[in-house]
Amino acid sequence: MKVSVRFIIKRIIYYILPALSIFLLLLMWTAVAESQKTIPNPFEVFERFKRLQDRPISNTGIIGHIWASLQRVLKALGISILLGIPFGLLIGWSESFRYLFKPLFEIFRPIPAIAWIPLVSIWFGVGEASKITIVFLGAVMPIVVNTYTGVSMVPKLLTDAAKSFGASHGQLLTDIVLPSSLQAIFAGIKTALGIGWMVVLAAEMISAKSGLGFLIIRGSDSDDIALTMVSMVFIGVIGALLSTVCNLLERRICPWTNE
Amino acid sequence: MEQVSVSPNAALIEKTKRRELAAAKRKRLKAIVFGLTGVAGFLLLWYAVVWFEWIDSRLIVYPHEVFQTLASKFYDKSFDGSLLPVHIASSLIVAVCGFLMAVCVGVPLGLLMGWYQPFDRFVRPVFEVIRPIPPISWIPIMIIFLGIGLQAKTVIIFFAAFIPSLINSYTGIKLTNPVFINVAKTCGASKWRTFLRVGVPSALPMAFAGMRISLGNAWGTLVAAEMLAANKGLGFMILMGRTYLRVDVIIGGMLVIGLIGVLFAVGFDWVEHKVIKWGKKQ
Repeated sequence: MKVSVRFIIKRIIYYILPALSIFLLLLMWTAVAESQKTIPNPFEVFERFKRLQDRPISNTGIIGHIWASLQRVLKALGISILLGIPFGLLIGWSESFRYLFKPLFEIFRPIPAIAWIPLVSIWFGVGEASKITIVFLGAVMPIVVNTYTGVSMVPKLLTDAAKSFGASHGQLLTDIVLPSSLQAIFAGIKTALGIGWMVVLAAEMISAKSGLGFLIIRGSDSDDIALTMVSMVFIGVIGALLSTVCNLLERRICPWTNE
Repeated sequence: MEQVSVSPNAALIEKTKRRELAAAKRKRLKAIVFGLTGVAGFLLLWYAVVWFEWIDSRLIVYPHEVFQTLASKFYDKSFDGSLLPVHIASSLIVAVCGFLMAVCVGVPLGLLMGWYQPFDRFVRPVFEVIRPIPPISWIPIMIIFLGIGLQAKTVIIFFAAFIPSLINSYTGIKLTNPVFINVAKTCGASKWRTFLRVGVPSALPMAFAGMRISLGNAWGTLVAAEMLAANKGLGFMILMGRTYLRVDVIIGGMLVIGLIGVLFAVGFDWVEHKVIKWGKKQ
């Protein structure tokens, strides 16, 4: 009896702690807002969000800006998948190709995508194309690296078995190498999506006319920190949603992934 | 009789060994030749692009001009007001400060969260709220609090770097082999001692993997932070290059950024190798 009471108390504490910590976070935020007049408190941020519905910025509401950022990321991610996976497969598959292009790739890889912004904006201007290129440069790296790693980690036993049963080169690729490296490739895509979401914000903060990153900078330029915070909240929410969707997709596409 | 049966075998082994060595040598040679061909081909293409003006000649420079500019940045502080070493030093200080802070906070926090569940329940929600917000978007708020100096950027780098350190330490200590913990308990180790002597060492290899990611994040985010709010640093330098349409400075800056990133990774590997001598897969 005594044990079960203790158990119940433990359970209660177990569920109260998370709520308590979030409450403390909001409390701290409010306290900071009270001491620093420039920082809005949570209620003001919520008010600002409601006001944003009636008075759009740059002719689009918050949904429009979210979509502007999101579609840049998705387009760039699509291009990275289309180019990155074949490239990764090639350098993982063919020795000559790997020796030829891997060193070159290793020169480009350590340059952060954000460092490309000045050069890309000189070459492609400040429009959509340049932003998509920058996000692409960030997203393609993990996809190539993971595809390559996945391909080179295919168990030799499997390829040997397939070969001894007379599988052609093409069959080897589609039936053995692709399925067994799918998990690594997918992990690469997941990383790419996270990086892409970060890079698009940086690109939009440095130069853009729409998107969540643009809203952040607009807020801080026009002394409207509430707007900046609204955008930050949405950035966090969308980022969390993206990774959830990715996890669900992963479970569907490669259900043999353990964990 | 015995002699006869052994010696051809030995000779055969010797022969195969030699053949394998020769094959490995040929492979290395091929790697070097092909690698150089790839890089040379790229440079050739670059020269061709400039020579035949496939891109507007104001928007691109010859590869060797990039290196000339980089060399001249060591004594000529024209247009962005600082020498290259000053930019590098300024970037390095911020990156290293932010990274060290992140490791000092992230790793212990992750270890404690992984070990002690009530603490996990308490800290995790806050962490999950902060985690998906990219560190770059904190910049405007940090500028309000701390200005555009060293501190604001260090805090941004901290945000970027502490998340992977924390997550990996957390996962690492969660994966501690329960047998070890039970052995420690059976032998009468206190809770604290079990944590220090069993939990922490078995989490360290993974924690180091997290710190490696942290270091990469720190460096990448730093460039962004310097492009948005700074008057010094490599990110600032390439942004100025954009303003004054100096492609040579931009490409040179990008190369330096990439090179330092590589050096960071190599240095980190070295430290990791020195510190961790257990629990590593070959």
